Amino acid sequence: MITLENVLFKWHAKQPEPTINITKLDIDQGEHVFLHGPSGCGKSTLLSLLAGVTVPTQGNIQLLGKAINQLSNSKRDRFRADHIGYIFQNFNLLPYLSPIENVTLGCQFSKQRQKNALKNSAAIAAEASRLLTALGLNDALQHQAVAQLSIGQQQRVAAARAFIGSPEIIIADEPTSALDTQNRQAFVKLLFEQANAANSTLIFVSHDETLQTLFTRSISLVELQGGTDATH
Amino acid sequence: MLLIKLATKSLLNRKASALLTLFTIAISVMLLMSIERVRVDAKSSFSNTISGTDLIVGARTGDIQLLLSSVFRIGHANNGVSWKSYQYISEQRGVKWAIPMSLGDSHKGLAVLGTNKDYFEHYRFAKKQPLSFSQGHEFNHLFEVVLGAEVANTLGYQLGDEVVIAHGMGNTSFHNHDDNPFKVVGILKPTGTPVDKTLHIPLAAIDAIHGGHAHQHEAAQADANDHDHDHDHDHDHDQHDDVDLVGTPKQITAFLLGFDSPLYTLQVRRNINQYKDEALLAIMPGVTLRELWEMLSIVEKILLLFSIVVVLISLLGMLTSLLSSLNQRRRELAILRSVGARPWHIFTLISVESLLITGLGCIVGIALFYALMLLGADYLQSHAGISLNIALLSSYELMLLAAIMVAGFIVGLIPATRAYFYSLADGMSIKI
Repeated sequence: MITLENVLFKWHAKQPEPTINITKLDIDQGEHVFLHGPSGCGKSTLLSLLAGVTVPTQGNIQLLGKAINQLSNSKRDRFRADHIGYIFQNFNLLPYLSPIENVTLGCQFSKQRQKNALKNSAAIAAEASRLLTALGLNDALQHQAVAQLSIGQQQRVAAARAFIGSPEIIIADEPTSALDTQNRQAFVKLLFEQANAANSTLIFVSHDETLQTLFTRSISLVELQGGTDATH
Repeated sequence: MLLIKLATKSLLNRKASALLTLFTIAISVMLLMSIERVRVDAKSSFSNTISGTDLIVGARTGDIQLLLSSVFRIGHANNGVSWKSYQYISEQRGVKWAIPMSLGDSHKGLAVLGTNKDYFEHYRFAKKQPLSFSQGHEFNHLFEVVLGAEVANTLGYQLGDEVVIAHGMGNTSFHNHDDNPFKVVGILKPTGTPVDKTLHIPLAAIDAIHGGHAHQHEAAQADANDHDHDHDHDHDHDQHDDVDLVGTPKQITAFLLGFDSPLYTLQVRRNINQYKDEALLAIMPGVTLRELWEMLSIVEKILLLFSIVVVLISLLGMLTSLLSSLNQRRRELAILRSVGARPWHIFTLISVESLLITGLGCIVGIALFYALMLLGADYLQSHAGISLNIALLSSYELMLLAAIMVAGFIVGLIPATRAYFYSLADGMSIKI
């Protein structure tokens, strides 16, 4: 499902130590993986690699059986649009779009995700609304200006955007760091629900190890780095 | 479509700076369009000043000087044309009509023209439009005056008013002849030409103000016609239906010629220019008008240059505001990338924004332009004699707008390219 082999990444050629150095990483379809590590250990870089925004200097990254490092730039963009939902740490939403529009944006660049979304609802906006309701945002909130939503509500809109059109892979980059402890757990549980419903693989990055217990699998990036085999 | 929607919403989200940029462009567009419209219309008003006249004949000076003094009442003709030459030439074969013109006198700074009745019949302006009266009729007696539209308007004269003509130009003339008041008998319709600013009196009356022997002259005329002899100062004109309004002045400033066929023009012109008895000059008004406009074209080009610079500055303003907003929008670009937007989508998004601003700027600019034209048309007509044409945009103006749009698009490519590279470099790792 997700396989990294001998992946090396340097931002520039003269860098003495690679930012990413992973001998082997396998993640199965539908797994909920907790990826943790202190800041500066290369988490964001790894996520950029997994999202196909950057390509490794060396090695192979296979997503859904495709070696995405061998795809052209535009094919990688299309792959990301079709198969990956991404949740940022914060400021996830475009301030000039309504929550519903922010969610539908998730499948606006992908025919496949539009098709998937229409399997669940009659229209894409209806599917967005369904997801937002499932994530606990009522109708009134769904049409409010983004700036009037709390951070927690914004993150749920971001989650809905990542999930719309049921992409196979959901990448969440410290999505709970702006939330308080109670909300964190609730948010993670909502992510699980949706990931299970769509049978999506969830890669959840955080330095907050209290969340670790909720996950079936936990990977320490520090241990993963430098050639430790993380196959399970 | 999606990108246009996103660009629109993104711009609306930055209303203040977007509107400011838009208005800068709108104002510059308005300025450019107005300057161009006034320029083009000034040019046509200018060339509309006189038409239907085949030749203008005066004492030998420069072509343009003769045109300026005879048609535009600008400057003085140093010499005149002798009455003998005028009579000789006006009797040449092919001459349909000849209008003598005697200039040099003024009333409150406005030119006084001594001429004959043919003037009202044959003088043409614009597209061969004849002069017409808004009130009254042409002069039939020596001390009668026909006013141009603007003379009547600005000085508030009405039919029946008495007007004093001074000798020489200027407001304060030492030779005010209070004893020679002229009665207003006609007011012409506006023409948008120097005719509007002219007082027309019979040619013979010019001699009367200068020599003061007009009464003798008119009396002599009366003698000749065997009418009743009346040497009284308050002469009763009504009895003199065929009074001589031309007289036999020593010389006149210039005269206009119309031919039976334009084919005569070149030949008569050559004959006049080679006329042995007197140094004369004949010009074809259309040709000389064009020469004069060529001379003025440097001013015209400078105006155009300035308005183009203003447009460029406004586009640079747009560039500045787009570039400075870009840094704050790296987050927005990263979000778009995360949902699968390709770098060229980002590029297009920013280009569309600059096109939207430029396009809306043009539309608002055109609206402002028409508002300005509607407000300014009367003023320009009455103060500069330029009749503005409040018509649809000409193909030339549409071309200007297209050029602005293209320029706006090209300027927009700069932030678009920058955004393109941002989105490649930042990827998902932007943290603001």
